[in-house]
Amino acid sequence: MTTTEGRWLRVATAIGAWAGADPTPITLCDLCVDLLGLTGAGITLMADGGLGGGTFASDPATEALEELQFTLGDGPCRDAYEIGLPVLEADLAEGPTRWVVFTGRAVDAGIQAVFSFPMRIGAARVGALTLYRDRAGALSGEGHADALVLAEVATVALLAMQAYTPVGELAKEISIEGSYHAEVHQAAGMVSVQLDIGVGEALVRLRARGFALDRRIRDVAADVVARRVRFDDQRV
Amino acid sequence: MPTVATREELLSDTFLQLADTLVEDFDVVELLSMLSERCVELLDAAATGIMLGDPQGTLQVMAASSAQAHVLELFQAQNEEGPCLDAYRSGKPVVNENLKNANPWPHFAPMAIEAGLPSVHAFPMRVRDTVVGTLNIFMAEPGPLTDADAVVAQAFAHAGTVTILQHQSARDAHRLTGQLQNALNSRITIEQAKGALAERADVSTDEAFDRLRTYARSNNAKLTDVAAALVERKLSANDLARLIGAVS
Repeated sequence: MTTTEGRWLRVATAIGAWAGADPTPITLCDLCVDLLGLTGAGITLMADGGLGGGTFASDPATEALEELQFTLGDGPCRDAYEIGLPVLEADLAEGPTRWVVFTGRAVDAGIQAVFSFPMRIGAARVGALTLYRDRAGALSGEGHADALVLAEVATVALLAMQAYTPVGELAKEISIEGSYHAEVHQAAGMVSVQLDIGVGEALVRLRARGFALDRRIRDVAADVVARRVRFDDQRV
Repeated sequence: MPTVATREELLSDTFLQLADTLVEDFDVVELLSMLSERCVELLDAAATGIMLGDPQGTLQVMAASSAQAHVLELFQAQNEEGPCLDAYRSGKPVVNENLKNANPWPHFAPMAIEAGLPSVHAFPMRVRDTVVGTLNIFMAEPGPLTDADAVVAQAFAHAGTVTILQHQSARDAHRLTGQLQNALNSRITIEQAKGALAERADVSTDEAFDRLRTYARSNNAKLTDVAAALVERKLSANDLARLIGAVS
């Protein structure tokens, strides 16, 4: 079969195999890594125009970089989603002036190139598929084309999953434990009461503290939920 | 049988065409017809066809590369018997090397043999657990389907599925994205409300969730609506007191 296994057949059959075996956003990230020869791949879904809808990743290191963008409220995912076009950074070590913090951390984690593709159909936007590679350099033309198709497939697949789910509920594949920063949103609720502010502003405060203390927003949130930290306590 | 290179070229070209359609408007019937014609060339088949299930679960002929294939597909849809129907119902490929041998289709088999198509294979087009349709391959000579042919056929069935989903999604993109966004937002609002209530009532977030759910049920309200009202501070003092003091 190898002689007839061309690129498109490879992509199509890989997608077919993915679709046929309990597909989830995480296994699609794995598929991207395999097909495109990457270090990691992540999917971030947007909610209310922000980065909080949920993150899925091929591995813990990539998960950390996706979450970092959620902590910062900034990064290639958000840009790809906002402008609706691929955001391509072929050499992070060259130090792009955008996303200074994200870039530093990504390079520390051994990532040299990042490519983020918007997940959209027409004007309808869902999130972004981001590819991470430990080697600098642009994606090949074929790799870029495949990534566009994969982002499209991810979008179509997520919407199809949602289409086969009762209105008001979230598709079970998307509703994976740990994918959506439950504790962060709980902490935002708590901080909003502590400071008598809105939850949106409470999330900004959590982000600011994470950034100031060089901690993951998830860890700051865990402290709040476990009542080890209060935001109305001036001593902290 | 086409040469390996030709087959590879045809495949690349077909999938490239498919990829192109992913970014622009397209006629789904035209595209399925293209797929079905390409399938004939690639598999050296006499004819191929694609059938889709309608919302009532009845198969409809969407594309056929020849009049005979069209008739044979219609026959199956109308008489509720045949390999395509079996693939549609079971979600598994049905491979029949020779309809002259024993088979479960007493009405379909003689018709297909009469039409000069004595071997039929049907591949399901699936989304999750749902079979949306079938790709049907009619052969002029009895004989086995090689592994390579089966892979190509299944790839085409998947390609057809993606095409149909793409078509549906493009049509419903706004509605579906809206639903997805609402579901995501609602999940976040509930988490925020758990935190807000946990803080106000000085209980755990799990306990807060139980209270929100109990309150929503006893007031015949949606959990999301109660959560949103709490987070946005739109609950009356009385309601808030009841929530905070609620017995789980």
